[in-house]
Amino acid sequence: MTNSREQAIAYTILSAFSLFALLPIVGIVFTALQDPNGVATFGSFDGLHFGNFADAWSEGHFGTYLKSSVIVTVTVVVVAGFLSILAGYAFGMMRFRGSEVLFYVILLGLMIPTEAMIVPLYYDFRDLGLVDTYWALILPQIGTSIAFGTFWMRAFFRTVPRSLVEAARIDGASSWFTLWRVILPLARPAVLTMTVLLAMWTWNEFLLALVMVSDEGLRTAPLGLSFFQGRNLTNLTLLAAGAVIVAAPIVLLYVFLQRHFIRGMLSGAVKG
Amino acid sequence: MGSVRFVDVDKRFGTVEAVRGLSLDIADGEFMVLVGPSGSGKTTALRMLAGLESVTGGEIFIGDRLVNRVAPRERDIAMVFQDYALYPQMTVFDNLAFGLRRRGAPRDQISARVANAAELLDIGRLLDRRPGELSGGQAQRVALGRALVREPQVFLMDEPLSNLDAKLRTQTRGEIKRLQGEVGTTTVYVTHDQVEAMTMGDRIAVLRDGELQQVGTPEELYERPANVFVGGFIGSPGMSFLPGEDGGSVGVRPEHVRPWADGLHGPIEGRVAYVEALGRETLVGVDADGDIRLVAVLEGRADLEVGAPLRVGLVPAGMQRFDAGGRRL
Repeated sequence: MTNSREQAIAYTILSAFSLFALLPIVGIVFTALQDPNGVATFGSFDGLHFGNFADAWSEGHFGTYLKSSVIVTVTVVVVAGFLSILAGYAFGMMRFRGSEVLFYVILLGLMIPTEAMIVPLYYDFRDLGLVDTYWALILPQIGTSIAFGTFWMRAFFRTVPRSLVEAARIDGASSWFTLWRVILPLARPAVLTMTVLLAMWTWNEFLLALVMVSDEGLRTAPLGLSFFQGRNLTNLTLLAAGAVIVAAPIVLLYVFLQRHFIRGMLSGAVKG
Repeated sequence: MGSVRFVDVDKRFGTVEAVRGLSLDIADGEFMVLVGPSGSGKTTALRMLAGLESVTGGEIFIGDRLVNRVAPRERDIAMVFQDYALYPQMTVFDNLAFGLRRRGAPRDQISARVANAAELLDIGRLLDRRPGELSGGQAQRVALGRALVREPQVFLMDEPLSNLDAKLRTQTRGEIKRLQGEVGTTTVYVTHDQVEAMTMGDRIAVLRDGELQQVGTPEELYERPANVFVGGFIGSPGMSFLPGEDGGSVGVRPEHVRPWADGLHGPIEGRVAYVEALGRETLVGVDADGDIRLVAVLEGRADLEVGAPLRVGLVPAGMQRFDAGGRRL
């Protein structure tokens, strides 16, 4: 039992850390809303100038860049998510020769940073004629996403009682049916969390987009932001507005899915 | 034909031999209990029969059909798991109907069989609930129901009562036995609890360290244990043992150990090690010279002090002799 004093201390500490996390975000939003003709200072508030977003949108080519980001992110998350569920199921629930070794090979994808593989990757893709295509952004990110996704889904599948799969097998269900209809409905929190994380990482990927594409029509939003920053070095307000535009879709995705995975977790927790 | 036959079946996990040379015939309609301490191979034997574990050596038949390489769903068996393994996101109805649907049974047949099983198990009002909303006892009945609706050739049950409290366990024990009698389906039931084995089994197979020790009716196992292990394992408490001739031993059941009187074998001088008053009877542990612990069961309450000297004797008809290897003579 916690007494009220302990509770007060806990709330104080939590509030302090929440502020710590929220202040920079509030600062960016305030900066984005400043008078574009005034002296820009980070975090100060001098009115609501929503026109900044329109200016940033057109100057930063976000119409095009966001479209590229959506295409790349949706493809990567859907394909990598699907394959991760299959691989995670195999590694988590099936026994087969070489599964340990294979799993650690896949984990390598999680340990090697983009910086380490970007140069050979560029030459490989150039030889394949894939530089300056969406594939140059999509395929490598599917690869790295599957490494995490498999690791993540395997951890989930390991928590599923084996007897559930065995009961389904005896009841006449195929592996495919068991996965999608018996096990996966329980995996909703795990799958949604994976979706949010993969979407966030793919959306924010910068280096790959910088190296692999130079076509204006293929650039993704974070890249747009960086070029935008270069051209508007003195205009802090528009930079902040651009940052808000780039971050908004992921924040929305998170807020939207968070409701779902909390619901998913509760349905699993209420028992007996 | 719902008979089951194990022919010289082995199972190895790496270097561990979980089951060795198991040969066992289970008749159509029989209630066979596999019992033994943990690690005895009873669950492995059941899982091989279910097709959830491969067979390292030997053959398993269901009816006349060799099933070594037959997938679990093709074996026409239904299994009740220790943790029930109900599908959490489905209603009780869908849980019961799952196996029939996977086999493409017609809709009206599914409703009829589910309704029938629900009535047999008195779970009709639970059909719309999900497993998370059931008590342990209710979940257990649903698990039984899921096996029942399938109308398989063989029921497999893997310690299905071990998650229930003692009272519910006793009650459900009788109920499973009654249901099995009604539907007449061959049943292989795994438990580590010898009381369950004795009260439920038509016959009991006792396993230890992967080897079959004895198969027989509860009476046979109790009256004529094949070896020292079965004598000590079956019965509650089990047999007590005294040194016998030629390095062998003599086993005696608690009801055959009595306070010294004429006509008994003995006397044996000992001290009271413990007194367990169960109400109707009292179990008395008696320590005698040479590391011998005898257990006697006395009618009613016994006025005995722990540590007090006690002279006991054995009923000659109840003395069973075993050779130096522990085998019955």
